[in-house]
Amino acid sequence: MTAKRMLIMVLVLSVTAALLAGCGKKRTETMPPGATKVEVVEEPVDWGEQQPAQQQGPTEEELLAQRKAKAVQDLTEIIFFAFDSNELTPESRDILQSKADVLKQFRDLTMVIEGYCDERGTVEYNLALGERRARAAYDYLVILGVSPDRLSIVSFGEENPLDPGSNEQAWAKNRRDQFRVFQ
Amino acid sequence: MKQTKQNYMRGCCLAVLMLLVNFYAALPMAHAQAGTGVSVDIFGPGQSKLNLVILPPRSLDGNPLPELAADFEQAVRQDLSFLPFIELVDVGSLLGGDPSTGVKIEEIDLKPLRLAKVDMIITMGWQDNDLQGRAYDTLSGRRLVGKAYPGLDKPKAPLAADAFCGAFMRALTGRSGFFNSDLAFVGKVSTGREIFTVSPQGRDMKQATRQGGINLSPEWDNEGRRIVFTHVGEKSHSLGIWDKNTGKTRMRSFPGYTVIGPDFLPDGDMAVTLSIKGRPDIYRLNRAFQVQETLASSRSIDVSPSFDHNGVRMAFVSDRRGNPHIFLKEMLTGEVRRVTYDGKYNTSPCLSPDGRYVAFSRQMNGNHRIFVHDLMTGQERQITFGPGNDEEPAFGPDGYFIAFSSSRSGKYQIYLTTRHADEPKLVPTGNLEATAPSWDTSRIRY
Repeated sequence: MTAKRMLIMVLVLSVTAALLAGCGKKRTETMPPGATKVEVVEEPVDWGEQQPAQQQGPTEEELLAQRKAKAVQDLTEIIFFAFDSNELTPESRDILQSKADVLKQFRDLTMVIEGYCDERGTVEYNLALGERRARAAYDYLVILGVSPDRLSIVSFGEENPLDPGSNEQAWAKNRRDQFRVFQ
Repeated sequence: MKQTKQNYMRGCCLAVLMLLVNFYAALPMAHAQAGTGVSVDIFGPGQSKLNLVILPPRSLDGNPLPELAADFEQAVRQDLSFLPFIELVDVGSLLGGDPSTGVKIEEIDLKPLRLAKVDMIITMGWQDNDLQGRAYDTLSGRRLVGKAYPGLDKPKAPLAADAFCGAFMRALTGRSGFFNSDLAFVGKVSTGREIFTVSPQGRDMKQATRQGGINLSPEWDNEGRRIVFTHVGEKSHSLGIWDKNTGKTRMRSFPGYTVIGPDFLPDGDMAVTLSIKGRPDIYRLNRAFQVQETLASSRSIDVSPSFDHNGVRMAFVSDRRGNPHIFLKEMLTGEVRRVTYDGKYNTSPCLSPDGRYVAFSRQMNGNHRIFVHDLMTGQERQITFGPGNDEEPAFGPDGYFIAFSSSRSGKYQIYLTTRHADEPKLVPTGNLEATAPSWDTSRIRY
């Protein structure tokens, strides 16, 4: 019984000692007894297309710039509306949610929301409807936590159609919000 | 001998034939009213046509006619072609040809004119570049217009024609202002859309603004000195004010980014749709462009204010009932009432200067058509019939003519009709795509 207890204590102490040794600054290699140590030396090899050492990977700044460029690209995704409507569809809400996430991540970006209509209405009413469409996206982004200082809206009414055609397909494309991003 | 007899017979037959042709041609047309002289009621339910002959210009001193004579006559013919109650009759169709030996009534044989049911004549007498223009009623021989225009040249001749036709229209209808009241409109240029001005006959077209971008909805002030418009910029709308005297444009922006469809009130204030509260409402701006009270507001769109000449009434568009409809606000009492009940898309209202009529465009079967609503009787009348879209009606200074934009030719251009739905006539604006006409009503004369 005493011998067993002594054995347990020795084990606990040796494990503690090993752990303490592991946490120390000075690391010592522990080789299992009887193992043969194999030294691996990496030598530079000319593979023919090796990049200069300083260009081997993008720097942190470059990575950030890349991520930002993609974010700006993502922010420009267009949302569409039904005829004579400024209701955001579930799909539009998802797109706006992504935009809000991006805007919260990159706080130096500002965005102009442009509202557009199809050609079937008249100019002034369409300017107002375009305003309502741009405002719908603006309000939603503000609810999602984007500062209104970073957003502005402009309605183009029926100007600058994406598709100049006069058919339902073209009209559906033209009832939209576009987003312009500034850094 | 035989030849002479044949010619004589042929002449007689021709004379009889011409008599018949003139008789039947004149049947559906109204002519001078006995006793009262010639007049046209342009405010009645629709006027009949009056036959008019323009007699060839004559030299008053025996010298050859100046080249200007042809220019002036052409300009008069062009002007008169815009008056739907005038039917121009060719002098060659009169029995015996030109019935005049001079320009005064005593030098004109009125018999063939009366026979051909011609109601009025115009004479032009030239001495060098000085012109005397006259118009007579052929039944009574009364002079309707007598005007002298000395020292004319190439640029002045059409202006003199406009002034003469203005006096002529005033003599007939009691109102003038048509021929010298400029239209403002939006013209499509390579850089976007800019504001232009032109006379209703297509004379003296000028580009007013050079803002770049998109400029829309021009409206004149009551003095014909300034045009207010919407500028759609890269980041927001602005209110633009173009000054006719200086040719300069000032821009103003407002909270809420949006500026739609401005119009002047008679006192120089403006009404415009802004989005200060996050929705398009109509506000009054004072002369310093400070935002004053709300003129029309709802939870939805309120846009396109239009006032009568005294600013007593405001017509506007609101979709407070679900679809865009025309509403009317009595400015003194604040009472608002709905004007249109038919259709599901009624927009672009324009009040007549006297405040009795409101012209607007209604979408029917996918296309817009111009209607006129009589606010006194509640009657509504369709006055344009396409094809294409007819949009953006604008009353002329006399409340008789209505300018509108139409895509009937395949491209948007400006046309003129009347409250009585007369055949639309193109306002020449070259190759420009032209929309949003607005009439300078400052020269209104009652």
